[in-house]
Amino acid sequence: MASTVVTDQVTLTVNGQSVTVPKGTLILDAAKKIGIDIPIFCSHPKMAPVAVCRMCLVEVEKMPKLQPACAVYVADGMVVRTTTEQVQKYQKGVLEFLLINHPLDCPICDKGGECPLQDQTYQYGPGASRFDFEKAHFDKAVPLSDKIVLDRERCILCWRCTRFSEEISGERELALIQRGVHTIIGTFNDEPAQSNYQGNWTEICPVGALTSREYRFISRPWDLDRTASICPGCSMGCNIQVDARHNRIGRFQSRENLAVDDGWLCDFGRYSFPTFQRQGFEAPRVRQDGKLVEVSFEEAIAAAADGLAQARGAVAGWASPAATNEELFLFQRLFRQRLQSPHIDHRAFRPTWPDPDPDDMTLPIADLERCDYVVVLGGQEVIDAAPVLHLRLFKSERRGVKVLKIDAEQGARAREWVPADAQAVGILATVSHKKEATDLQAALGKKVKGSVRRLLVVRGPNGRGANDLGILPNFRPGYEGLNGQSGKGRAEWGKGGIGAAYIFEASPLHAFEATEDERRWLSGLKTLVMHRFRASPLDDLAHVIIPGRAFTEKAGTVTNMEGRVQRIGRAIDADAVPDDWMVLQAIARKLGAPWDYHESSDITADLLDLIPQYAAVDRGERVLWSERT
Amino acid sequence: MGLKPVLTKDFGTEGLRQLDAYERTGGYAGYKKALSEIKPDDLVELVKKSGLRGRGGAGFPTGNKWSFLPKGMYPRYLVCNADESEPGCFKDRYLIEESPHQVLEGILIAAFAIGCNTAFIYIRGEYLPQYEALESAIEEATAAGYIGKNVLKSGFDVDVILHRGAGAYICGEETALLTSLEGYRGEPRLKPPFPAVKGLYGKPTVVNNVETVANLPHIVVNGADWFASMGTPTGKGTRVWCMSGHVNRPGNYELENGTPIRELIMEHGGGVWKNRRLKAFQPGGASMMVLLPEHLDVGLDFDAIQKAGSLAGAGAMVVMDETTCMVDAARRYVKFFHHESCGKCTPCREGTFWMSNLFDRFEFGEARPGDVDLLLDMGYNIDGRSFCPLGDASTWFPRSVIKYFRDEFEQHIAEKGCPFRKETEAAVAVA
Repeated sequence: MASTVVTDQVTLTVNGQSVTVPKGTLILDAAKKIGIDIPIFCSHPKMAPVAVCRMCLVEVEKMPKLQPACAVYVADGMVVRTTTEQVQKYQKGVLEFLLINHPLDCPICDKGGECPLQDQTYQYGPGASRFDFEKAHFDKAVPLSDKIVLDRERCILCWRCTRFSEEISGERELALIQRGVHTIIGTFNDEPAQSNYQGNWTEICPVGALTSREYRFISRPWDLDRTASICPGCSMGCNIQVDARHNRIGRFQSRENLAVDDGWLCDFGRYSFPTFQRQGFEAPRVRQDGKLVEVSFEEAIAAAADGLAQARGAVAGWASPAATNEELFLFQRLFRQRLQSPHIDHRAFRPTWPDPDPDDMTLPIADLERCDYVVVLGGQEVIDAAPVLHLRLFKSERRGVKVLKIDAEQGARAREWVPADAQAVGILATVSHKKEATDLQAALGKKVKGSVRRLLVVRGPNGRGANDLGILPNFRPGYEGLNGQSGKGRAEWGKGGIGAAYIFEASPLHAFEATEDERRWLSGLKTLVMHRFRASPLDDLAHVIIPGRAFTEKAGTVTNMEGRVQRIGRAIDADAVPDDWMVLQAIARKLGAPWDYHESSDITADLLDLIPQYAAVDRGERVLWSERT
Repeated sequence: MGLKPVLTKDFGTEGLRQLDAYERTGGYAGYKKALSEIKPDDLVELVKKSGLRGRGGAGFPTGNKWSFLPKGMYPRYLVCNADESEPGCFKDRYLIEESPHQVLEGILIAAFAIGCNTAFIYIRGEYLPQYEALESAIEEATAAGYIGKNVLKSGFDVDVILHRGAGAYICGEETALLTSLEGYRGEPRLKPPFPAVKGLYGKPTVVNNVETVANLPHIVVNGADWFASMGTPTGKGTRVWCMSGHVNRPGNYELENGTPIRELIMEHGGGVWKNRRLKAFQPGGASMMVLLPEHLDVGLDFDAIQKAGSLAGAGAMVVMDETTCMVDAARRYVKFFHHESCGKCTPCREGTFWMSNLFDRFEFGEARPGDVDLLLDMGYNIDGRSFCPLGDASTWFPRSVIKYFRDEFEQHIAEKGCPFRKETEAAVAVA
């Protein structure tokens, strides 16, 4: 009887259970597939096996010694046993070894409660130690940088942080120093670490050796309220978990999304959380006789509606690219329908901006790994705008993708560099250099056989959503033109004809940032409404100040640079402050709008009617505009 | 059986370190013969047929090791392991010191056999005079046209690079040696891939011991049958044994494999010093298990020694007389391994630290009942669980001592100190 032999699959048994996995699978992963947990410390799914901790040793039939499950690949017919007497005795032995020089200061350790060493000691370890000598002593609370503190006594030398530094970020900042039982982790000449990815060290550390300065002694893990959200740092859209205690943010942790962040965060984003920490209640204020006077929210909203309406359409609206899609959706409706003003924008000041279009994101982040050539037009400027991109690029490079980082003006070099037989070319640039990116794309499109796609890094966690939803003077939601009815963009607001402005500054990280000229213009307005979370340098020019909510205090959706619509969650209660969308609704209702939303999710439903592509929100997928026609 | 100078035959010849004297003794004849008469593949076969096994410790057949190199993958490297650091071993030092050209010729023959154009010698950092001897040998050989492009018009290009280690025992382990040679911390690498497939700089690499390569010129000149006619069925040829300890005439002795240990110690070594009785001896070096006078008739041969419960290792023979405290001997070795553990893996790093502490307790009279079993249990958790043989080997000698001399441990516990040396002060001095 003929049968199809699938040669790239192997079947083995683990503890008597049969499992079939692809060739090249580690015993550890094959066991995991059938729910068999093999304890590990050094092994990490994103790093090459090193087999140094020796925790995962298991019995493999026909092999005389116990084998590291984290480093031995499966073979057909392999018989693995993970719970034999020999293995269990050894597991107790290796944990006893790991603990002889570990301080066991769990009660005061930040990691206690989410510590692999603690957990596995409970599960696999000996109840007591037979070691009754003086432990080896090392430096404690060593500042590795302004972000990270290292406790060398807690370190079990698993090499995860040093391998991250070598294999994931490629910076090689952390290294092993000394040898034997005296081995320590450190930086060259004890200089402060400079990496922008240090926070990841604390997450992969299987003990409490590497801790974040910002989180030290802040909370026990079990006291944290955990909320899934998106990093407010940039337009990358890295998935985070906001860990809060007593309604205060303790830390941002990564929440792996292989398509976006690959499980990592940058320090800029991770340690941005104090920016979103509320410092007490702030009352709304209204300018009366030249002075800002505290009022109720209702009064402030009425004053804002009044002042904006009086400008009779000559009103400018700026919404932060950190606002949610729901807020932006209401914002543009407020302006276009209620204030009869097309003068809205979300961008930084620049004399001219190239028009955005859906093609700015035909290259998904994860596809960088599947390109054969990637041009980073702008080099470090692109990395600075979305730092986690560096990790994806470095990973791609390690897998053989050729990456060229050049100044935005050097497109000619890139045109030569990419060979004609390239299969898939990616171009990365910031939105400031869209023209250079599209020029290069066009040129390479003619030159190479394969596909050429671009991905533009926009400003703010919802910069892409602001484009999609038409927070632009010349596009309606969904990139629909205005047939000559375009409004004025931010660069033109100061040139006359605008009498009032509404600045909706949802995040201090993505503020309005007025130029000198803009300040002059703003100071001459009849009405300036500042709707923002934190005190702004523009407050002293404002007529109405409406305190808003922090990114961590609201729910909704944001769209990352590649068009992925993702939900942010309300991690912190701020009931005394109306949600930003409520303020927008209240102003619109004052101006006659019949809106009656009760939840931010009600707005999402309406938004989907207008832009069906955003249905992707329920799947965490990218909005594919090509499906539109 | 008995003394059989092959490698050491001409040692003592005046000026043997220099090229001309070496050539007068027949030096470089093997290299010339190989280049002009033998194809590299046939050379590999010749060495396979000779039965030569690696002299570095593991005793792996040299020709087989060579033939593991994947076909068609170049460049490939030959690394001569001259990082002799095993306590009790000093044969490589002797071979280099007396006749650096013999070692170099062997390296050149091996390089030719495996198709390597760049050979490396990784020499122990402390071997400075030996480094200088090799350095000038390389200079002379280069000037004579044995090293360089198109050697002796054979079309064979070869370069030899001499590299000094920085004194870490672990760098004698072949993968740690390669890592160190590349400029990184000397730490062993995960195997597979084995060096033959992915070694130095990720290229196919053969690592051969000094004594192994020193055999090659003689095999080429005299033939595989001649070599195979010496020794035992599974251990052909001779070995240079490094005898030290409580013996009248310590030193290097080249003996035909299979010669009884008794002959080495009692005849060539002149017996135990000070007319004392033999208590124990340790073949192989610091790593290996202790043997007793009852094993004196075991032959000096890989398999025979293994059968007796120890290993021939790198050819050391440490002799211990009746006054030796076996607990202290084990303690010294454990301290050596504790000091030399690279720290990469948990069992070795932590286990040698703990064992070292525990042995101190015996020495200083603080050991308690149960400590011997604790040592054995620790050995169980280290041996075979460590990343590389360093950790495993740290347990072999102490465990063999417990096997044969457990009563001495019990005595240490009962008498609260070392029965061989009551003055604790003296023990403190060496701690």
